[in-house]
Amino acid sequence: MDKIGEGVEHLLHELSVLSINGHEVPSSGFVLTNYGFFLIIASLVTLAFFLLGARRVKLRPDSRYGSLVEAGVEFVRDNLIGDIMGKAGQKYLTFVGTVFFFVLFNNLIGLIPGSKPGTGTMGTTVTWALVVFVTYHAIGIKKHGFFGYLKHYWPKGVWAPLAAFVALLEIISDFIRPLTLSVRLFANMYAGHIMLGIFSIFAALMFEASGVMKVVAILPIALQVALYALELFVAVIQAYIFAVLTAVYINGALGSH
Amino acid sequence: MEITGSLSVLGAGFAFGVGAIGPAIGIGMIGAKTIESMARQPEMAGRLQTTMFIALALAEAIALFGFVLAFVLMGQ
Repeated sequence: MDKIGEGVEHLLHELSVLSINGHEVPSSGFVLTNYGFFLIIASLVTLAFFLLGARRVKLRPDSRYGSLVEAGVEFVRDNLIGDIMGKAGQKYLTFVGTVFFFVLFNNLIGLIPGSKPGTGTMGTTVTWALVVFVTYHAIGIKKHGFFGYLKHYWPKGVWAPLAAFVALLEIISDFIRPLTLSVRLFANMYAGHIMLGIFSIFAALMFEASGVMKVVAILPIALQVALYALELFVAVIQAYIFAVLTAVYINGALGSH
Repeated sequence: MEITGSLSVLGAGFAFGVGAIGPAIGIGMIGAKTIESMARQPEMAGRLQTTMFIALALAEAIALFGFVLAFVLMGQ
């Protein structure tokens, strides 16, 4: 049992924010962290993905790669924006698309053994949630004006004290949004990696043991494969949810409901 | 058997374990109802799926608060 505890401790240390060469992060000064490194890589991958796709834009893409990029953008346009905001939302395709692909590439890169998801720390996810938070309020204020936008918290035709109470609840739930948005993405990524790590520890410990345990080690290894497939699914779903909620929040700020 | 470790570890286990009960029931109900609606009106499947994922995300977030809280307690 001690070995498992040791393994878990090592795993948690491995998943914590360290500098790129494995030391503790100093309390002041600039240092490239392990997560930051993969965050930069994910940004470059996102950039390259679209720059290569935009190199030869045709009405009918003639290369496989062109079709792939187009399918991705169409997915965001039809399934993310189209279903939620309709035609009026097409203006925000660039923002929602950027959010979706950036989070998606971060999540997927984290699944390559030896790498880490840029979205696996609170720092990244809180930053992105705040970017979304500021953006949708800015969109709402731009459309309705500052006081006009504030007015949409106030339900119409309701007894005034009740309306004030509802408005208060609305404002509180509005401020909880960036919190849930960031915690959801972070916890999904972090929990997934811990789960994969713990099953690796089981497999390794069973394999080190003698006799029949070596054969039983097949079980955690088989589970590991299934969990990896699940994590791939989660990586895509979480990027999807992050982008869908961005679209929903923008839609709410536009006040078309 | 000797019991070692601090009570906060026990609390961490409860924070996640008990905190996951409600969202688990909720996610199950969301899934069941969506499948029911999809079977009844297959032409609505696309929109239902989008709405389902939004509802799923909201339910799931509650479970994940327990998860984060568990880690906070573990560090105590």
